[in-house]
Amino acid sequence: MALKTPEQYEESLRTMNFRVYLMGELVKNVVDHPIIKPSMNSVKMTYALAQNPQHEDLMTAKSHLTGQKINRFCHIHQNTEDLVKKVKMQRLMGQKTGACFQRCVGMDAINAVDSVTFEMDKKLGTQYHNRFIKFLRMMQEEDLTVDGAMTDPKGDRSLPPGKQADPDLYTRVVEKRKEGIVVRGAKAHQTGAINSHWILVMPTITMTKEDSAYALSFVAPADTEGILYIYGRQSCDTRKLEGGQIDVGNLQYGGHEALMVFDDLFVPWENVFMCGEYEYSGALVERFAGYHRQSYGGCKVGVGDVLIGAAALAADYNGASKASHIKDKLIEMMHLNETLYACGIACSAEGHQTASGNYLIDLLLANVCKQNVTRLPYEIARLAEDIAGGLMVTMASEHDLKHPEIGKIVEKYFKGVVSVPTEHRCRVLRLIENITLGTAAVGYRTESMHGAGSPQAQRIMISRQGNLEYKKKLAKEIAGIKD
Amino acid sequence: MGLIGVKYCGGCNPHIDRSGLVKEIEKLLPPGCRLTTDRLSDGWEIAIFVCGCPTACADQPAAGSMSRNWVRVRGSTVDLEPFPEDKIADVVARKIETLQKK
Repeated sequence: MALKTPEQYEESLRTMNFRVYLMGELVKNVVDHPIIKPSMNSVKMTYALAQNPQHEDLMTAKSHLTGQKINRFCHIHQNTEDLVKKVKMQRLMGQKTGACFQRCVGMDAINAVDSVTFEMDKKLGTQYHNRFIKFLRMMQEEDLTVDGAMTDPKGDRSLPPGKQADPDLYTRVVEKRKEGIVVRGAKAHQTGAINSHWILVMPTITMTKEDSAYALSFVAPADTEGILYIYGRQSCDTRKLEGGQIDVGNLQYGGHEALMVFDDLFVPWENVFMCGEYEYSGALVERFAGYHRQSYGGCKVGVGDVLIGAAALAADYNGASKASHIKDKLIEMMHLNETLYACGIACSAEGHQTASGNYLIDLLLANVCKQNVTRLPYEIARLAEDIAGGLMVTMASEHDLKHPEIGKIVEKYFKGVVSVPTEHRCRVLRLIENITLGTAAVGYRTESMHGAGSPQAQRIMISRQGNLEYKKKLAKEIAGIKD
Repeated sequence: MGLIGVKYCGGCNPHIDRSGLVKEIEKLLPPGCRLTTDRLSDGWEIAIFVCGCPTACADQPAAGSMSRNWVRVRGSTVDLEPFPEDKIADVVARKIETLQKK
């Protein structure tokens, strides 16, 4: 079974035994929990679109291991066309869900681990790459969703892992046994963890010899004993408990993050891909971050498409769509959104082969892409709020709209253009609220800022990759300066 | 010992000093061995593909058919293995010697 149906994916999650706490309670059924379910639906869409002939060209790929058709989220990029299609797939997914669809972290993790384990084995004589390929084969054959887990809690940022008052603030090996390792620590902000079959853990920063216990990469079943999840709250999340359809903004889809805690998790050696090889921790972090910074040039653009569409609809429903400043604001939103897309496509088209055979994005351009993502969605969101008007945050609730007595008053005074039902206006304003201020703002705003690394991380990479000396040389030549 | 072909990429944004590298390589080659960019009608036996960055956009099948054996420099990698820039010439020269002995 190289491609799961969406129903098979959902059923596969039902057989799992996650330990998840949400708002102080142990969740008995994660699949049907009203706060979690929309995020599961987003991942489910990655399976649904792969079955759809209209989208299979982007959503599927040919496995370089088996030659079988697989979901692109399980694929190791074999050329720059694969890298470009990845970004296009992510834009499509953003358009179809209006939310974070979570599955890209696993795809980015496997591609980073593929090349780094290959290079590590070649240099150090370790056996990690074969282990990884065995796992990858299973991932592809069973069409698994894998959570790529990188970010440690990190405690006091001025101190390295080993100098923290609490050593568990970075994920580390606490014991090595003949059969495997014991891991303690945590990963923060884990996108889609509770919708995943497996987790793929990577080190969070470049490690030194002193911190080699923290240079660690492994896979584990997401519901295995020794992993606990504490579900992250999102703005307006309890609206999902109200049972309505309008006030949630996006009834069907969403994203999620969780704190993932390793409570002396045992990992057999066959699932370990790095254990102490600190010299390669930096490459793994850099490549995963690079792929993930590329990803944002697709997924955020897709959500941006939905937000721009919603803003245009709001203008129509408000009767403002012919105003020149509204038209201009919509043009600006599209310009900004396509700028992000251009960066995503550019870093993909300029990708290159690594020694393992897979393709890596152009790291400089991927970092430029993400740096723009830390800014432009905020401006797009600002313009959407400008066009939508204040009603998007002062509007009465769905209960009031449908109330037997006051419903007519809400209908009357929240009416815009006569031909458009008031409910439509409410729905589109709630969608804008959802993306700019509500549950989806986690993905569209703050994740745009900090996901795949905060802005300064990209600036460091741009500084390293920017080739400033060459630029000086060019200037000297033109200016006639001879040293 | 013969000619060793050299094919450059277009050089829009090189991460390495391409011409400086080729001069260094030439110094390290055995006596009688010479580098050339002049193409041969039946192709080179051995050639160096000097691409300024890892993207190596010039390294396409049409260009690849210009030689039967290649040593590929792409930014600071040689045949996909990373090296400090000051070591690249030495690595390339050794690879050429190995190819010549085959």
